[in-house]
Amino acid sequence: MKQTICKLLVICCTILLFEQCGQKANSSGQKKVAIVISTLNNPWFVFLGEKAAEKARALGYETKLFDSQNNTALESDHFDNIIVQGYNAILFNPTDADGSVANVQKAKAAGIPVFCMDREINSLAAATSQILSDSYAGAVAIGKYFVQTLHKNGNYVELLGLVGDNNTWARSKGFHSVVDHYPGLKMVAQQSADFDRNKAMEVMESILQAHPDIDGVFCGNDAMAMGAYQALLTAGKAGKVKVFGFDGADDVVNAIRQGKVAATGMQFPAVMAQTAAVFADEYIKGKRSFPQKVPVAVELVTNKNVGDYAAYGKK
Amino acid sequence: MSGMSETTITYKQRIKSLQSLIALVVLCILLSVLTDKFFTTDNGLNILRQTAVNICVATGMTLVVLTAGIDLSVGSVLALCGAIAAGLLKNGWVFPSADLYIGFTIFGVLLAAIIAGGVLGWFNGFVITKFKVPPFVATLAMLTIARGLTMLYTKGQPISNLGAKFAFIGAGSFLGIPVPVWIALLVVLLAAFITKQTRLGRYIYAIGGNETAAKFSGINIPKVVIMVYALAGMMAAVGGIIVTSRLDSAQPNAGVSYELDAIAAVVIGGTSLSGGRGTVWGTVMGAIIIGVLNNGLVLLNVSPFWQQVVKGGVILLAVIIDKIGNKND
Repeated sequence: MKQTICKLLVICCTILLFEQCGQKANSSGQKKVAIVISTLNNPWFVFLGEKAAEKARALGYETKLFDSQNNTALESDHFDNIIVQGYNAILFNPTDADGSVANVQKAKAAGIPVFCMDREINSLAAATSQILSDSYAGAVAIGKYFVQTLHKNGNYVELLGLVGDNNTWARSKGFHSVVDHYPGLKMVAQQSADFDRNKAMEVMESILQAHPDIDGVFCGNDAMAMGAYQALLTAGKAGKVKVFGFDGADDVVNAIRQGKVAATGMQFPAVMAQTAAVFADEYIKGKRSFPQKVPVAVELVTNKNVGDYAAYGKK
Repeated sequence: MSGMSETTITYKQRIKSLQSLIALVVLCILLSVLTDKFFTTDNGLNILRQTAVNICVATGMTLVVLTAGIDLSVGSVLALCGAIAAGLLKNGWVFPSADLYIGFTIFGVLLAAIIAGGVLGWFNGFVITKFKVPPFVATLAMLTIARGLTMLYTKGQPISNLGAKFAFIGAGSFLGIPVPVWIALLVVLLAAFITKQTRLGRYIYAIGGNETAAKFSGINIPKVVIMVYALAGMMAAVGGIIVTSRLDSAQPNAGVSYELDAIAAVVIGGTSLSGGRGTVWGTVMGAIIIGVLNNGLVLLNVSPFWQQVVKGGVILLAVIIDKIGNKND
């Protein structure tokens, strides 16, 4: 009995605490922007989310970051909470192009504008605007540089990201749309390393056992490029085999500067996040017409132009 | 009579560790037939180097499972300890308020990481024994807490470029054998010594076999259980150091789902999930089987879609064979 009362008291106190927090936020009258990110278990998305929050705060909004943990159902719960708590806009990095559509529609029905960042949803009407990284075109540019670097001849390996992810295939298809035209370039292995540095190193170590005579590695992101490089370094093939990444992460930009990695596709998460935040601000202030899609180009970074770049963007 | 039953038990256990060894040999022969790249010294060392981390983590897991517990937090603990090692090595310990900075030697960061692992494991054991929280729940909570702490400590970004000396732990060799393999061997020998030669080892088996009987025979169960979880945390920390050193970078998302690989190694190695039965050496076999499988599927360039199906199938097969073997005894 005593215990039950104690528990009840604790619960009541907790509720009181939250109530007060809620009131405090409302009384200040500050408008709120929610930032929903597909996963914070990946440095690139952490950066995207932080930049979006930073810009929204600078524009005078209260912000909150939600982590969907790559799970559409959890994302749906976040949207429910956001709608109930009366947020004014959502800066959204979707978990899945199809699976996230219903969530965006739910917010739209509740009168909350949604601005997609980096990843697309397969619906034109649901989101107010989509600011997207052009992964396919970026991979095409890498493909061209790849052909040039390998002089149209040689054996290569492709490390794919998560096989269930849209970006994995957009990058792979863009790359192959160029490279497959050259019969001298032979893909000896295509394996997934889940966008993960350690997995990429281990997969690469095993691939090197089967194919010690390769000339290039194309990786679906920079974490895997660093993992592949580490495996090549241990095998004593670091200089000989050219490594290509995608993202423009800090480690790879440094590695390109030092000649360890050949090239990467620089994405601009800060640009995308800031554009989305500015759009949200304009919407809240009354503007209603926005471009359906704003493509943000992916730029090829090589040792020739690496001086112009820093992690995740231009200097 | 007691003498006889003891011999049968050792006999049975010997057969059991042999079973995983036989499975490993069969798998190796099969892969050698399928590809000539498999059975080489280089690839053998490669597999052992890759398996070293799972061997460390799974050895700790074996001790926990022998007490009829489970530790789901090892992957997150591994990530946090790896991050602590990298962070202390690179940035030291900064006290902004006191304008104080403590730099660490490599030995210092290794010790700090292992102590951190021990503390996290100790906390698991404390919650389990003090509040009677089931190990599954307590360590599930720690899985999330330690991952969150890793994110906080690293701010979600990798900590890279740790220097050549630190890289030696993961990439170096001693007497032709990779350093991670030596480290894993040390961890396994320590665990084998504990389980076979010490009173703590006998208590571990006793608690897993029959907790009530163990209690009545005067064993201080909370003390033993806390010790076991602390050891599992420390071994996960050793795994974290190896991963961080091999990559020359502490990844905030390192070790995700490593607990499943570790549990798989323990189970394939013939340790009973209900506790009391199993050996550390069986787990080593289990871990190597998983490593050989990962390596073989890549060597054969099997589609990534199929790899997951095959891996799951092999785990299932190993356990079914194990069960049938048990019945026949």
